[in-house]
Amino acid sequence: MSQARTAAESSAPVISVSTLTKIYGQGEVKVTALDGVSVEIPRGQMVALMGPSGSGKSTLMQVLGLLDRPTSGSYRLNGQDLSRVSSRTMAELRGRRIAFVFQGIHLLPRLSALHNVELPMVYARVPAAERRQRATDALNRVGVGALVHRMPNQLSGGQAQRVAIARAVAPGPDLLLADEPTGALDRASGREVLGVFQSLNQSMGLTIVMVTHDPVVGRHAERIIEMEDGRFLRDYAVDDGERIWAHQEVSA
Amino acid sequence: MNAFAIALDSIWRHRLRSVLTALGVVIGVFAVVTLTSLGASVRSYVQGQFAHVGATIVTVSPANPGSGANKHPRFAGAPGGAPSTLTVADAQALAAAPHAHIQRVSAVADIPLTLGTSPAASSGVAVSGVQGPFFKIEQIPFLHGRFDGSGVVLGYGAAHTLFPHVANAMGRSVYVGTHAFRVVGILKKGSGIAALQSNREVFLPIGTGLKLAGLSTVAEIVVQANSTQNVNAAATAVTQVMTARHPSKNFSITKESQLLSTVTSTVSTITTFLAGLAAISLLVGGIGIMNIMLVTVTERFREIGIRKAMGARDGDILVQFVAESVLLALLGGAVGVGLSAIASSIVAHLAGFPGGLTVSAVVLALVFSILVGGVFGVLPAMRAARLMPVDALRTE
Repeated sequence: MSQARTAAESSAPVISVSTLTKIYGQGEVKVTALDGVSVEIPRGQMVALMGPSGSGKSTLMQVLGLLDRPTSGSYRLNGQDLSRVSSRTMAELRGRRIAFVFQGIHLLPRLSALHNVELPMVYARVPAAERRQRATDALNRVGVGALVHRMPNQLSGGQAQRVAIARAVAPGPDLLLADEPTGALDRASGREVLGVFQSLNQSMGLTIVMVTHDPVVGRHAERIIEMEDGRFLRDYAVDDGERIWAHQEVSA
Repeated sequence: MNAFAIALDSIWRHRLRSVLTALGVVIGVFAVVTLTSLGASVRSYVQGQFAHVGATIVTVSPANPGSGANKHPRFAGAPGGAPSTLTVADAQALAAAPHAHIQRVSAVADIPLTLGTSPAASSGVAVSGVQGPFFKIEQIPFLHGRFDGSGVVLGYGAAHTLFPHVANAMGRSVYVGTHAFRVVGILKKGSGIAALQSNREVFLPIGTGLKLAGLSTVAEIVVQANSTQNVNAAATAVTQVMTARHPSKNFSITKESQLLSTVTSTVSTITTFLAGLAAISLLVGGIGIMNIMLVTVTERFREIGIRKAMGARDGDILVQFVAESVLLALLGGAVGVGLSAIASSIVAHLAGFPGGLTVSAVVLALVFSILVGGVFGVLPAMRAARLMPVDALRTE
């Protein structure tokens, strides 16, 4: 599924964006959601994106996830310039090389857990047997291997979000974007789900960008980017979760 | 998990809505298939009838000189247009003419007198004056007796109208005007449209009939050629003999085969016209599908958003929704064909001719409903396919 990469590509940062802007509406009602954001995220990093609501976190995630197009600026994924790609190419990168986990979970209610996980690979035209194998592996990896035939309404919130994570990682993406993945979960389920992200990052070296309001969630990351009014307020690496927690309290 | 599985699932989930949506196509296909199939049945039935009765018949009827009028008086209704100058002597001349292709000749006259079982009663049964060969020409066999010139012959239906409680009316009396006649023959019940008229009639020897009515001319002369191949030669011979006797050409010659082609082409035209009208309802059905598909797309923005976020191309979404509307239309078309099979067999049974659907009409209707589903599904499906995932996901 993930195409063979050249040496240049694998040495390039997974994400490299510069002066990215996104403006909604026109004229009087124009809203600048992203105001010239530039950032590089190297392979294997786990980044927490924080900030108050309306600061542009979700917009940035949607642009990075190819769910929306930026108004201007450049976007490179593994060194490949995506500024002017067709909507077809965008669709083909979505779900395969860039996977998304939503706050609202967004499983298709009419499909079983297994079929939901297979869905991106159906669109990627992965042969059925391989698809089934990878989906089953991914479900096992996130700890819901026993629930493959459950329908979404038969899953708890935490289980459903883990199925959604399996769906995101099964095709073997380069980048996992998670927009407040624990936002709709209780504390215990949220902690479990965060554990899943952490283990995916550590055991598979998966690059993860996660939006969160919750500083407890944020301390699982190795780098924190804080946003406000569509700009980066702070961008710093940390190696001690406790320090971030303290730092956050100071700046609050 | 292909597009058709998704489509079936969606159609099944909204059963009532799907049924109502498909109803337009059901009615359209039903109307088109039923009308064209009935039209084809009527046409082949008419052809079959003519093939065994009328193909060898040439009819001489009165016409205004030089008008070229070619009306067949027995189908054109009342003896209107031209006053007849045809006589029994013309028929005798035709019968006597040394032409091998002319096999049988009979003059036919409408006798404008009442008929009943008593001198005062009138039954409303029509009386015709004919000559002996008439029944062979028209191929109406006798149930009882024969036409021997001494009395009247009753059509099967006329026998039952006049003598409803009598098993065999042979030898009974009927009154034409005030004159009594003995029943000397009863015809078999003929089947088919050609026999409808003779079924209800009473036949008198033409000389007697004309004398009673005070007439000297006949309505028409029917001539039978000795084979289907020689109809044209026989018609030429009839024209020669008649032209010699009527130099002003105040007659017209009609081959029943001409009539056949006129009737069949008329049936075809009417069928096509009606089927065209019915096709408009298919169009309306298509618009109904488009309407509901637009609603479906709006309802399923979230699903579309999820699918697109999971890597569905615009084309994948387009195919999914077009598949749904095509399937909906096709199901409607299939139900319509089923209904029209039932309806046309009922109608055919009641009208007494062979029913059954025309294969070409069924195929055409199904192809047409696929097209309707496709064409009217594309617009809503494009709307779905072109959505930006983020816009689709935003509506919850």
